[in-house]
Amino acid sequence: MPRRRIYNPLTELLAAALLVVLVLVVNRWEFSFAVLVLVVLPAVLLSGRIRQISLAILLVAGPLLLSSLLLHGLFYPEGRVILLDFGVARVTQEGLSFAAVMGLRMGVFTGVLLTVAMTLDIPDLLATMTHRRWNRKLVFILGSAVGILPHVALRARQITRAQQARGLVVGREPISRFRALLTVTTPLVIGLLVDASERNHMLQARGFSSSVPRTSYLPDTDTPRQRWARRGMAVAVGAFSVLWLGAGVLP
Amino acid sequence: MIRLESESFAYDDGVPLLTGVSLAVQPGEYVVIAGASGSGKTTLARLLAGLVGADAGSTFRGSITLDGQAVRFRGLPTDPRIDPAAWSAAVAFVAQGAWAQLSMMSATVGEEIAFGPSNRGMAPERLRAAVDDVAAALKLTSLLDRDPRRLSGGQLQRTIIAAAVVQRPRILVLDEPFQGLDEGATADVAAALDALREGGTGVVVCEPMLPRSAPDMARVLALHDGHPVFDGLLVEARGAGLRRYGIGVAGDPPMPGTGAALGGSGDDAGYSGAPPGPTGFPSPGPERIAMTDVCFRHPEDRRTAGAPGDAPAPPGLSGVSLSVRAGEILAVRGANGSGKSTLLQHLNGLHRADSGTVVVGGVPILNQPTGTLATAVGYLFQDTDQQLFERTVLREVSYGPRAGGRPRVEALRRASDALETVGLGPAGEAHPYELGFVQRRLVALASIIATGPAVWALDEPTAGLDEPARTKLAALLALHARGGGAVVMATHDATFAEAVAHRTIWLEGGRIRPAPPAHGR
Repeated sequence: MPRRRIYNPLTELLAAALLVVLVLVVNRWEFSFAVLVLVVLPAVLLSGRIRQISLAILLVAGPLLLSSLLLHGLFYPEGRVILLDFGVARVTQEGLSFAAVMGLRMGVFTGVLLTVAMTLDIPDLLATMTHRRWNRKLVFILGSAVGILPHVALRARQITRAQQARGLVVGREPISRFRALLTVTTPLVIGLLVDASERNHMLQARGFSSSVPRTSYLPDTDTPRQRWARRGMAVAVGAFSVLWLGAGVLP
Repeated sequence: MIRLESESFAYDDGVPLLTGVSLAVQPGEYVVIAGASGSGKTTLARLLAGLVGADAGSTFRGSITLDGQAVRFRGLPTDPRIDPAAWSAAVAFVAQGAWAQLSMMSATVGEEIAFGPSNRGMAPERLRAAVDDVAAALKLTSLLDRDPRRLSGGQLQRTIIAAAVVQRPRILVLDEPFQGLDEGATADVAAALDALREGGTGVVVCEPMLPRSAPDMARVLALHDGHPVFDGLLVEARGAGLRRYGIGVAGDPPMPGTGAALGGSGDDAGYSGAPPGPTGFPSPGPERIAMTDVCFRHPEDRRTAGAPGDAPAPPGLSGVSLSVRAGEILAVRGANGSGKSTLLQHLNGLHRADSGTVVVGGVPILNQPTGTLATAVGYLFQDTDQQLFERTVLREVSYGPRAGGRPRVEALRRASDALETVGLGPAGEAHPYELGFVQRRLVALASIIATGPAVWALDEPTAGLDEPARTKLAALLALHARGGGAVVMATHDATFAEAVAHRTIWLEGGRIRPAPPAHGR
């Protein structure tokens, strides 16, 4: 069951973005590790979607971690302490250490961003942005970008069902599923393009290009306290970053 | 209030349409633009909506006057551009194809309806009140929290109409708004349009046939091949012999003799025009379909069951039993969302019963892949465009026989024959999307004919059809039944069902219920 929401989605989104900035600025494995264990892990565990988020993190971060390990672990140019020598490639202590730092950082990025993306209340986020008078085109791009994913998935499922009704047999084997995917691609893309053209007219017919400020059907769940908190967080992280980088506290 | 003077309109420098068409709509007026497929009614509706198509290579010569302000078009690149925001504030437009009209920004029906007024800055309190009013008028209140992408076809259509009505436009243009709506929903939409007209809105409705009921003094502009053939009151139009232009009267049974307009055999492929009814039913053949005590819940219903705040999921099926024999045509009727499509999709394995049995052609539907059942059951989807996916009409129609294991040459021959049967022989090399709505519907039907299943499951087969296509369809169903096939069709078209089907079952909330008193048979 989804967790009970405490903060406005805009606050959650900003907090996640600032956390990523902090990890980049601080650039220490200890900090990245602490964020991973103390923030990302509890957030995933409390999300109510542990399985889906874990799978998404694995699918996104897994290949990145693997490639980082292979690249830096075997071909790190500044490696001195050689652990294994394969001729053209050498496993060095410095390379492994760098791969671990990079991997940890990537793990934090994907963990933070995917957890937020997969638990955000998108309608609430769009409503908050509208209430805060954000640019309507920006809000639409964000909203339609998120909304198009289930739309495409649903459309693809409908086309597959139509093809099955006409004789397409989709087996359990990966090859059969891959062939079904190829068969669905052309009508899916054509259908989406036709829809997009029609939708453009529809947006115009429903006044999307009006110049007056847009309003929202959903109530404003944002609070003055959270607005101040967002500003405070942004200023604090900005100031910390300037001080940290300015003081030359770099590894 | 709005006046259109069309000298000509051409797509991509093609054949000029709408030559010498003049249409004026006054406050509170109800105007029907009637015409068979390809008559130009959608083009005319789009012109009223300010979509002159210059950006898509179309050429319009004429003028549109809105509230005394005339915009003149000469078919030149220097023609004025209509400001869509300003125009749509006065003229709202509901196009065909509800799916493509979703904003994609709305997670609920309420937000979708509110999309237009919120774009125009309506205050939130007024916005919610306006949405509630329109939702109540169109019986959408219980659906306000539902995801609009997961509505039934009729519910989605009502949502899109509500989204236009809530804008309180001065002119409302609707292209076939009653397509796929049940009788109750049709009455609700008509009442909402009446309420708008009382407030001074001029309503323009495009229809393939003359409406059975419409407001007093409704006017008709009838088009044929892009040219006006009648302009006058609806009561006069009914006696003006418009049937020769393929314009029938909605609610009339299919008319034998007009199907030849589609290029059929001239005798409507064996349809006599006499309602099959109980007397027309041939001697009972073998049982083609047997459903016994079928229960089914939609997957989303199972996932969200009991979760607080969740909107009710669409009904599944509950204890449905029925039998259809060879030679029989069965109509399945019921309100939008009553489970008609769900029932049909059990016949070809798109849905699998949670309990009970479904046997088609003597074969129980168990765990076999859906695709293997296509040679036994042909399925016509409510949304045709879901169904078409090949790059030419001929390939499209030959897909079924090829997938069923027929050699390529034979598959193409069967496809050609099927296209001839529905009157689309010359369209074989066209892309399905180049055809009009009715032709695409017939392509989907031809694809079933080419595959040759004994059972046809048809979801709203007459929705959006003009009279020639509707009569052709009646003939094809009768022919299929006489050849030993069986037909199950979900439909809101009462007269078509009464004229063509041997019997009717009624669904409500996923259960078969007794026929209403007025529909005894």
